[in-house]
Amino acid sequence: MRQRYFYLAWFFLHFLFIVTVSCREMLRMLARGPTIFPSSFNRSSQRVETTVAALLGEDLAAPNPARRLITTYLHAAGVERGYGYFAPNVPGTYRLVFELHYHDGRVDYELPRVNSNAAGLRLAGLLDDIGRSRYDVLREYLVKMLARSVWREHPDAAMIRAVLGSISLPSIDEFERGAHESSEFLYAYDFSLRADSAESQKH
Amino acid sequence: MLWRERLQGFFFPVETDAWVGFLRSGLGLQIILYVLSLKDDWIYLFAETGDVLIGRRFSEALLSIQSPLVPRLGWLVALGGGVGLPEWLVLSITWWTLLGAGGGLFIGLFSRSSAIIAWFIHLCAAQSGGLVSYGVDSFMTIGLFYLMLSPLPGRYSLDQKLRQVGAKDLQMLGFWRRVLQVHLCLIYFFGGITKALGSGWWNGSNPWRALIRPPFNLIAPEILVRWKSLFPFLGISVWVIEVGYIVFIWNRRTRPIWLVCVIGMHIAIGFAMGMYLFALVMIVLNLAAFGPDWEFAKARETFRFLGLRARS
Repeated sequence: MRQRYFYLAWFFLHFLFIVTVSCREMLRMLARGPTIFPSSFNRSSQRVETTVAALLGEDLAAPNPARRLITTYLHAAGVERGYGYFAPNVPGTYRLVFELHYHDGRVDYELPRVNSNAAGLRLAGLLDDIGRSRYDVLREYLVKMLARSVWREHPDAAMIRAVLGSISLPSIDEFERGAHESSEFLYAYDFSLRADSAESQKH
Repeated sequence: MLWRERLQGFFFPVETDAWVGFLRSGLGLQIILYVLSLKDDWIYLFAETGDVLIGRRFSEALLSIQSPLVPRLGWLVALGGGVGLPEWLVLSITWWTLLGAGGGLFIGLFSRSSAIIAWFIHLCAAQSGGLVSYGVDSFMTIGLFYLMLSPLPGRYSLDQKLRQVGAKDLQMLGFWRRVLQVHLCLIYFFGGITKALGSGWWNGSNPWRALIRPPFNLIAPEILVRWKSLFPFLGISVWVIEVGYIVFIWNRRTRPIWLVCVIGMHIAIGFAMGMYLFALVMIVLNLAAFGPDWEFAKARETFRFLGLRARS
């Protein structure tokens, strides 16, 4: 019987974590908007989100053992994220194109490559994360890493310009009027290989 | 009936081991397909040196800030490096081990060890490749986490046939099935609620956007646009099915209908958007949690459960 109580206690704790993580994500969506609720919800959702996040130990310092224990458990059980896939709205997507400039003035174009469709889905997710990142330094670092993978295949390139753009999807009505997806320039980074490290310059 | 007995009846119902056998085989097949689908990219995605896409250093560094205790491929590479194995060889061994564990799960050989190994290696890959992971990884981790803790090997396993290892505690089988059932209810409930927050799931623009969005744009928009009047219905149906799951999946009369709707939704997502692995893991989890008991001798009852009772 004691063993059953142990399982019950685990059950409640486990699902408390799941509900908390899911609520936090939902509140985050409300806070960031746009949703069907008025924008006055945004600020109050942000306040509640902070309170809910405290249940997951997120108000504790990063090295706090309790916080680390909770984080480890959430990752091990696969419940560290909520379930708001394609919610509240389906976002646009991003495209990264590399311009390879050679010493003789030639310019080639390359896309980040993978070898399978399964990895292609993963690469698309990575590009979305890069495009949505609010941190310039992080975005540049990740683009540089991808540029390196292209450089390894084209070692004779003198300079690589990485151009990140967002893709706007047409609505049904726009598509019927002849519109197709359109790209919008967001960022460009120039990388040149010096002393085995890519140096970058942002535009 | 006393509340304590009711509680006991809900959390520890008597169950056969058929569902865990199905979950084991289903996740085994999922692991096999996952590993094979990444055969040509495994080292490219997860290595740190040589020809790599982005490397795992950043993901693992981020993970270390959150918690240094979360498993990652860097541990295995360091372990292999300690005995002189290069990174590519360690990653290749990891790939083969995961494939072996998937095979073990599928046929039910060394089920517990296979489940633990599959959970651990898949978790390492999902965490080290955090930047290139997506929903399917979370659901595989969830499934493998519960499978690893459930009473194994479950029905139709080689362990049961060769080593006479059978289910001991039928109530614990019921408990773990209940855990999976409640978790699926929460997954769909929150998935549906968060979708309902977006106007695009009411007016049909979100299903349209999801289907024309690269890399999910397998169907030409010229074909999709012919069905444009269906998109509002499709959008609302998706979140109604998801939100309603937590209510209608428990009732024996509505369960077959809801199960068929949810599985149909995942099959459609799989084929229309190319998310085959995502579709498979969701179907496996749903059928293990709420599907009828999978006995070949009861095939007729199964068809009756899915077909005739749905119509009645």
